[in-house]
Amino acid sequence: MSVWNYVVTAHKPTNVTHSCVGNLTSPHELNLIIAKCTRIEIHLLTPQGLQPMLDVPIYGRISTLELFRPHGEAQDFLFIATERYKFCVLQWDAETSELVTRAMGDVSDRIGRPTDNGQIGIIDPDCRLIGLHLYDGLFKVIPFDNKGQLKEAFNIRLEELQVLDIKFLYGCSKPTIVVLYQDNRDARHVKTYEVVLKDKDFAEGPWSQNNVDNGADLLIPVPPPLCGVLIIGEETIVYCSANAFKAIPIRPSITKAYGRVDADGSRYLLGDHAGLLHLLVITHEKEKVTGLKIELLGETSIASTISYLDNAFVFIGSSYGDSQLIKLNLQPDSKGSYVEVLERYVNLGPIVDFCVVDLERQGQGQVVTCSGAYKDGSLRIVRNGIGINEQASVELQGIKGMWSLRSSVDDPYDTFLVVSFISETRILAMNLEDELEETEIEGFCSQVQTLFCHDAVHNQLVQVTSSSVRLVSALTRELRNEWFAPSGYAINVATANATQVLLATGGGNLVYLEIGDGVLKEVKHAQLEYEISCLDINPIGDNPLYSHLAAVGMWTDISIRIFSLPDLNLVTKQNLGGEIIPRSVLLCAFEGIYYLLCALGDGHLLNFLLNMSTDRPTVIYSSNKKLLYSNVNLKEVSHMCQFNSAAFPDSLAIAKEGELTIGTIDDIQKLHIRSIPLGEQARRICHQEQSRTFAVCCLKYSQSNAEETEMHYIRLLDDQTFEFMSTYPLDTFEYGCSILSCSFSDDSNVYYCVGTAYVLADENEPTKGRILVFLVEDGKLQLIAEKETKGAVYSLNAFNGKLLAAINQKIQLYKWMLRDETSRELQSECGHHGHILALYVQTRGDFIVVGDLMKSISLLIYKHEEGAIEERARDYNANWMSAVEILDDDTYLGAENNFNLFTVRKNSEGATDEERGRLEAVGEYHLGEFVNRFRHGSLVMRLPDSDVGQIPTIIFGTVNGVIGVIASLPHDQYVFLEKLQSNLRKVIKGVGGLSHDQWRSFNNEKKMVDARNFLDGDLIESFLDLTRGKMDEISRTMGVTVEELCKRVEELTRLH
Amino acid sequence: MEGSGSSASDHPSSSPPPSPSASKLLTNLPSRGLFSSSTVVSSNPGGMRVYVCEHETAPPEDQVIRTNQQNILIRSLMIKKQRGDSISKSGKGTTVAEGSRKRASERLSDAASAKRPNTQGGSQQEGSHSHLSDKDLHTLTVERLRALLKEKGLSAKGKKDELIARLKG
Repeated sequence: MSVWNYVVTAHKPTNVTHSCVGNLTSPHELNLIIAKCTRIEIHLLTPQGLQPMLDVPIYGRISTLELFRPHGEAQDFLFIATERYKFCVLQWDAETSELVTRAMGDVSDRIGRPTDNGQIGIIDPDCRLIGLHLYDGLFKVIPFDNKGQLKEAFNIRLEELQVLDIKFLYGCSKPTIVVLYQDNRDARHVKTYEVVLKDKDFAEGPWSQNNVDNGADLLIPVPPPLCGVLIIGEETIVYCSANAFKAIPIRPSITKAYGRVDADGSRYLLGDHAGLLHLLVITHEKEKVTGLKIELLGETSIASTISYLDNAFVFIGSSYGDSQLIKLNLQPDSKGSYVEVLERYVNLGPIVDFCVVDLERQGQGQVVTCSGAYKDGSLRIVRNGIGINEQASVELQGIKGMWSLRSSVDDPYDTFLVVSFISETRILAMNLEDELEETEIEGFCSQVQTLFCHDAVHNQLVQVTSSSVRLVSALTRELRNEWFAPSGYAINVATANATQVLLATGGGNLVYLEIGDGVLKEVKHAQLEYEISCLDINPIGDNPLYSHLAAVGMWTDISIRIFSLPDLNLVTKQNLGGEIIPRSVLLCAFEGIYYLLCALGDGHLLNFLLNMSTDRPTVIYSSNKKLLYSNVNLKEVSHMCQFNSAAFPDSLAIAKEGELTIGTIDDIQKLHIRSIPLGEQARRICHQEQSRTFAVCCLKYSQSNAEETEMHYIRLLDDQTFEFMSTYPLDTFEYGCSILSCSFSDDSNVYYCVGTAYVLADENEPTKGRILVFLVEDGKLQLIAEKETKGAVYSLNAFNGKLLAAINQKIQLYKWMLRDETSRELQSECGHHGHILALYVQTRGDFIVVGDLMKSISLLIYKHEEGAIEERARDYNANWMSAVEILDDDTYLGAENNFNLFTVRKNSEGATDEERGRLEAVGEYHLGEFVNRFRHGSLVMRLPDSDVGQIPTIIFGTVNGVIGVIASLPHDQYVFLEKLQSNLRKVIKGVGGLSHDQWRSFNNEKKMVDARNFLDGDLIESFLDLTRGKMDEISRTMGVTVEELCKRVEELTRLH
Repeated sequence: MEGSGSSASDHPSSSPPPSPSASKLLTNLPSRGLFSSSTVVSSNPGGMRVYVCEHETAPPEDQVIRTNQQNILIRSLMIKKQRGDSISKSGKGTTVAEGSRKRASERLSDAASAKRPNTQGGSQQEGSHSHLSDKDLHTLTVERLRALLKEKGLSAKGKKDELIARLKG
């Protein structure tokens, strides 16, 4: 790989952080707005449900999302603030369907300590001002003038330094905030302030409440007529206003999100940390609050945001599991739950770890992620391909073949589906109710297996069985003619088109028939030297009914031959070599180019050098005159045919083990995600090819008697079924920190190694851990050896037939030695000190790259002769690392906790030791995502003949559920795309006036520098979505044709 | 999406089952006629149109919002000063220092009820910004005082005490 990198999102963020409901797109339309960290989704609420409208990328990480309506406006505006202190106010222009920027600005201050408890952005319910709490001790006010325009912002000093929440109160003549804060003795209080715009200062508010619940961290302002505020604690909920105070105790829980149900604020939905949904009711007599009530409704994903939509439907946005659309039922179900989950919106976040595997050995990686947290933890299998959307399915065992037939030549749709079994043939047909039911075609022989079926000219149908070819009228369904195989010979394979039939009988006999009106005429017979394995006469010439060529695959000499029709003269013969017979041949044309595809018995598709397994369907298509192949999200398909019926247009009929399915095929390749819910959180995952298993470090929370405990396990899963095969429980307080599948020198076994830590409450850093070595025997985890360590084993790597472990501040190398005749143990060989915490380690040859907690990346080398590990170079910047990976011998990639990526390079040619000892930062980029893991690999099939097949890639997974790809480009391509990117920046504007330049600039507490040696693939690939006019504009400035630009960008999209 | 339907997990929940009494609290949930169709269709298929913003997104010129860079302390001082001017002109003599004392005493009573007497000192200092007292002015350097006077268009000459007197007007 290289320093010129292209970063692109393969799977967009799915972690829902904010949501709100209001009239954004029209005064009469109600919208649900969902924020997924760096994107906003706009949905429309309709009587039929949620209708997606728009997916808007935002150049920033969204910290606040609010809808509000300034005076005199008919519809709501959207206020967005980003974590990098930008804000914008957006308005939807219904005429142009565009988001218009009403205002934007930078609200950063040069001095000030960023708040610990997150940024707070609130809007006065009477729209007099916007309040922001971004720095400790400062409250920023952006006032509105009476026309709804924003005015210059100013800061007010806020005495309370540890602010937990701030909200505006309803129904106050002056804008009034209520502040929940903690004092320096950890007691929590609530206080109100009036914002005096004239003085640019606070005035004492109408009331305050000292010593509220010690776990209180959420305020809910109550709208008129009740007004006041709800203070949500861990053990109590309090309603508080100037003249009322009501409290109720609750079961201990941490409320994560709330959603208001009624406009008058008498009912609220509360979601807690365990995913339980409660209804909170303020009982009142007219405007006097008489009490509070709370009821448990049921369980959802752990909510980060709750939006009541309409008519008892609620959107639950989640950061830890799938977001959900739920319905609140009046009556509880059998389990006593009032919550009915109607839909789940897949969320991969947080991706804590993942591995790239090729389970089907197709040369295409699939990603298995550890996703979700707490009870919503799961494994997700993410693979690229074309989807089959199942529309109907029936259980049918033992399908040997399938063909679709039309009732007449003019019928645009297929009517019959002929399904052949080993000793019978059944015919299914669409009836008037568009249901598939069994029918009969009298002229067909249904007591034997059918070899082939096809529509023929003159409204006829052809059926080939082992003994004869039957020509049947499609109208009367009666037999019109029959051709019998010579006695003593059975038909083995057959094929047909509208006017021709080609069949092979035993002994290498090839017979060619032509179909007339009610007549089957044997035209030609040829004797070949070997048995025939497959045939095809699909017409590819100008005449769609008649083929001039026949393709024949042979046993014994393993060849494909092309014969001319009707004379059956050999045109060409191609020996395939090898010992695998051709199983299926197809003549076809893509974009006017003719191809002969030949699938072999071992799953290779020939002539085009690609892998296609026989039981894994693949879609082949052509783009820019290149053949492309795409996997389909189905397994173990035995037969497949087109079935284009009126009820299921453009569908496929697919026979699987014991099932017949009808489905449509996606027109584009996309990521498909399969969920394996675990009910506990997976933290580390690793695949072992030899035992065909995954090993996962899990932790399970269990609550007993209000005491929350967590237990950690090592679980072994089957890599096909994902069922638990075996479990090894870790000790109390012992955490699984790292996992590895590896083998050692002088030992043929492949082991799972697990690194652990004993995490004790009174220790700052763990001082004890273990390395456990397991062998998979009979589907069980067998503990072979264990080694105690003096700290947490944060990372394990296979290294020169030994085991390299990162233990607290130390890198330690272990040998795998014989202890006695039969047993082995890990023996410490050498180590290297001098890190704060060596969290992430990657190796290549004798080189070791370490990502430190706070000291960026360092490079170590293992010296064989001396048996020692020495430091070679380090990056002297202070980066708090979250992942590292080795790009090539000299270049290393790092991700740090301010959401940046950077590359460093070894300077081997430096003149002095000092220069050689320095890793120079060569690339910097703001990803805007917290990367938890890098892995080498690819999500797409890497074909040797494709351009992108040569581009090395790295996959990363993030907290927001993003799966991204980093591709190292050749220098000339990088330069070209950099130019394209800078041109695109001028044409594609940041929503809300946010700048792409600034968004992608590397930014941490110490510095902010422009991105370099990284390209934003998401921006570059949006070139394909531009209008033609804008494409032309870019084409002119680039001096490259639009077609060429499209082609080059399209090629890049095939990286993911 | 493949398999997403099967992910509806039903792992054992340790929580007690909801009580049936919630039924009456769930009556009359607000409805505007949306989600009313008997079959609420899935909103997942197809994916969403991605917004590519080709139009100018810069806000109107006067709506690029910046923060007032004036120091909070000075700003508050000046506002009070102006207020003081107008008040003294109208003959009423509420001084700034009185306001400050009042707030401090309020805070004292708050703190007493919270049983945290040792936080008083700190908060008093922090709170003093908005009501610049005699004492606060004395803590400012002569240079700062001169700057303040200049901003107000007053003469910046003289000893510190004179400057303060002039600032207090």
